[in-house]
Amino acid sequence: MYPCFNFSSAVFEMGNTKVIAAVYGPREVRCEYSMANFSTGDRMRKPKGDRRSTEISLVIRQTMEACILTHLMPRSQIDIFVQVLQADGGTRSACINAATLALADAGIPMRDLVTSCSAGYLNSTALLDLNYVEDSAGGPDVTVGILPKSDKVTLLQMDAKLPMDTFENVMQLAIEGCKAVATYIREVLLENTKQLEYRRGV
Amino acid sequence: MSSTNTSSDLSSEMEVDAFRRLFPLRFHERHLLESIRPDARPLGKARDTSLALGAVASAHGSALAKIGCTTMLAAIKMEVMTPTTESPDEGCIVIDFHMPPICSPIVRPGRPAEAAPVVSKQLSDTILSSGMIDLKELSLVSGKAAWMAYLDIYCLDADGALFDAALLSAVAAFSHLEIPVVSLNDDGRVVVVSEEDAGKLEKEAVNKEKRKLKLSTISFSLTCILHKNYILADPTAEEESIMETLMTVVLDSSFQLVSLYKPGGPVLACTSAIQDCVALTRQRVKELQKILNEAISDMEVD
Repeated sequence: MYPCFNFSSAVFEMGNTKVIAAVYGPREVRCEYSMANFSTGDRMRKPKGDRRSTEISLVIRQTMEACILTHLMPRSQIDIFVQVLQADGGTRSACINAATLALADAGIPMRDLVTSCSAGYLNSTALLDLNYVEDSAGGPDVTVGILPKSDKVTLLQMDAKLPMDTFENVMQLAIEGCKAVATYIREVLLENTKQLEYRRGV
Repeated sequence: MSSTNTSSDLSSEMEVDAFRRLFPLRFHERHLLESIRPDARPLGKARDTSLALGAVASAHGSALAKIGCTTMLAAIKMEVMTPTTESPDEGCIVIDFHMPPICSPIVRPGRPAEAAPVVSKQLSDTILSSGMIDLKELSLVSGKAAWMAYLDIYCLDADGALFDAALLSAVAAFSHLEIPVVSLNDDGRVVVVSEEDAGKLEKEAVNKEKRKLKLSTISFSLTCILHKNYILADPTAEEESIMETLMTVVLDSSFQLVSLYKPGGPVLACTSAIQDCVALTRQRVKELQKILNEAISDMEVD
């Protein structure tokens, strides 16, 4: 988290996927997702405003809205900007994790952290956190976002076909991934708060 | 620390903050009288600069440059294209500078930053006219195939001296660039050879191994603010917004003048002010050369 300027930001890396998020506010919640031209294998011509980016912006906004205590800040707007610097699968999850960190850095009151992770099913094995190559193999891709303390699922997206019992396994795996991310995020936040206390001379 | 002490410290801190917000020019001028700036820098000193090469693994060349809080991420992607008929032996470089909303509170989705296209054009002009890169090096097969290098620079944090940081990151990305291996496929078209196929090529590779670009001369820059008789090197965004006269000097590695840019402003620059700026830039070029060389040798050790 960078202490420059009067807003909050965070960088989140999951393997080779790098995402940076900034939060300004409070005003009401708005989200914009944008990919850098060089983030994917081939150079992108239309990094935002295309269907995929708009859909992911909506998904991130609704996921974060579920956990921000907006009633504590009436008539306020929160802007979340997410910029993908390097994409290697699981960008949605990395964006949600970065947004959670940025919101925590901004001191915006939240019900709980929101952490997200994806999982898939290839060659009869459930796999956690698919990268680009595994994702393009055509198997199912399940993205889950949870509130780790209350064990509540706020985001669940899946594409391709999957029998119900396999789905439960894959979803369980994704939830465990989310919990692992949550533990890591909590450690980072704690460390950051200790640093802030140290700098203020407490 | 007793509680009365902390509260009086806090209230005097708030008074200073309030003065800074209400009377920014007086706040800064009070510092300039003592030949210092609010962040304790002497007038001619630039902020701490750092460079990291290879920040984006998926790009052919990339670099992350930080001058103080200003952060720029530059990445180069190469594509094969057909050269124009007027210059069949030359490739092409396209430079684009973006300021996403992440970089500053004044940039919002409906309201793009004014500075973005200005810096973009400035960068493009400086890099292409400085002769840093010989476009003939980007040629593959004369008249049929040449490289198009797309340089995209993203500002991740805008805190003044955007052009300096952008130029530094662009130059570092070009130093890091490795041109991928290509070969002619069955249709007679040039295709990029991936890492795994490189070992078992049936057709002759057009260029045998990944090579680096030869940069004939590397340009570095320094932006200064002119205010009354003071010259402040490497301004922060706060200083830029209060004292509006900027001057950017670009020198190459042999200290020759590549570009001088003073886009108006309330203060008129006399010859001695310009010469002072150039002298400050020379100093800065030596610092930046050292930083760039260290970053390159760090990469090679890896």
